[in-house]
Amino acid sequence: MENKEILRKRVDELAARVNGKVEESLDFLVLTVQAPYITEVLTAVKNFEDVPCDFLHDIAGVDKLEHFEVVYHLTSLRGPQKLRVKAIVDREKPVIDSVVKIWAGANFMEREAYDMFGIEFTGHPNLRRIYMWDDFEGYPLRKDYVTEPPEVRDKMRVRKGED
Amino acid sequence: MSDIYTEGTEELILNMGPQHPSMHGVFRMIIRLQGEIVTSIEPKIGYLHRGLEKLAESRTYAQFIPYTDRLDYLASPHCNLAYVQTVEKLMGLEIPERAEYLRVIIAELARFASHQVFIASSALDMAGWTAWGYPFRDRERILDMFEMLAGNRLTVNVMRIGGINAEPPEEFWPALQSFVDDMPEKIEEYYNIYLGNEIAQARMKKIGILPKEVAENLSITGCALRASGVNYDVRKNEPYGIYDRFDFEVPVLHGCDTFDRNMVRLMEMNESLKIIRQAMRDIPEGPVMAKVPRVIKPPVGEVYHRVENPKGEMGFYIVSNGTTKPERVKIRAGAFVNLQCLEEIGVGTYVQDLIASFASLDAVLGEVDK
Repeated sequence: MENKEILRKRVDELAARVNGKVEESLDFLVLTVQAPYITEVLTAVKNFEDVPCDFLHDIAGVDKLEHFEVVYHLTSLRGPQKLRVKAIVDREKPVIDSVVKIWAGANFMEREAYDMFGIEFTGHPNLRRIYMWDDFEGYPLRKDYVTEPPEVRDKMRVRKGED
Repeated sequence: MSDIYTEGTEELILNMGPQHPSMHGVFRMIIRLQGEIVTSIEPKIGYLHRGLEKLAESRTYAQFIPYTDRLDYLASPHCNLAYVQTVEKLMGLEIPERAEYLRVIIAELARFASHQVFIASSALDMAGWTAWGYPFRDRERILDMFEMLAGNRLTVNVMRIGGINAEPPEEFWPALQSFVDDMPEKIEEYYNIYLGNEIAQARMKKIGILPKEVAENLSITGCALRASGVNYDVRKNEPYGIYDRFDFEVPVLHGCDTFDRNMVRLMEMNESLKIIRQAMRDIPEGPVMAKVPRVIKPPVGEVYHRVENPKGEMGFYIVSNGTTKPERVKIRAGAFVNLQCLEEIGVGTYVQDLIASFASLDAVLGEVDK
């Protein structure tokens, strides 16, 4: 069997177990699951027979307005398999399990998603802002984050009493 | 015999950066020392954060190309390439053969220039002033060629969605030919003056060990991964553009140390020259731009595409909602992820070795901080 077919079969089996949805998007196979299943899914995906997706490429947060998505891009250094796992996270209470225990490399990526979207990764060893300063308020990449227009920004830059 | 260097008295907390010549930009780390041994490292980044991902959401697809130059500014055509190829993949756009070849030539020149800066700055971090000058002297020739192509030297902005900006001027080809002819000798020179130097070898060998399993677990990519004995290069394993047409080797070393991370890059420079020579031989005549609609409106969907940057793998994840502006652009910067191994390679070594190890990761803060 082709690599792609085996991967499809394994992902279909997994999706049936965790109530997920499988689709194809360009060259990636996409598995969408609810946030509570993520540790189970990623552990299974890492240990797929014949087609392990064991290299974590990237973690991206996406704001879909009604919910957040945490998108994991997985590949392997030993095969052509490529898998995108999407976890749907509640917008009001964005909490998801951290995958640092599965891939140590998730550390910075999760901190970035926390910084930009405010998604809490439970079990993360050092969940603090990575780009913005510690007492920064708000989460810049959320769609409802208000960036001030240039006029306001220019006014803010003038120090008090200098007008 | 008691040794003041290893037998610590009390813990010392040392702040390095963000303004420090060995920090390659505005990287900052807080290190704890016992004597002169590093016991913990806390990297602090974000001093150069410009919010490129947020900016992308308010720009059209074509308008975002110059911003990608500001990611890895030492190899800006590579960031252009990663981005435009992602958009092309999303749109299903075919680009002309000549443009593909020119892209490869430009990208490999940029890789060469980036590795030259790496060798120069890495030598400088170990006080190798002489070795600093030689690569910079030769890099000027690449920058001159970039100036011929696009008018810019550092942030080149040469790629377009559907091709490259313009047909190269006539004087470009002789300049490229003489560059390719001269460089093998110069690479030897870099080796002799820097990596072949006994003092440099003593400073770098068996220092900053990054074992293979740890590197894979930490999602390390690029030269740092190949110096840890993993034979993986996106150009070979998942060729993008026309890289499958070229005959080149992927240098892999098994030392896992600072020296090998330097050496892999030097060896890669030779391979880049090989690719450029083949591209110059095979390049066809024709247009350099595809027929692209005036308003770029990719279909609804999402795409992830990655290329082999000099600093590691760069990936773009674009979510399109069918309008002229992307809904989300996520940049996977190689250097940002690679920085995670700093603790692994730095803890337990001397401060001076930490500087050399950090230099061997070749982090560029424009890319790390986005």
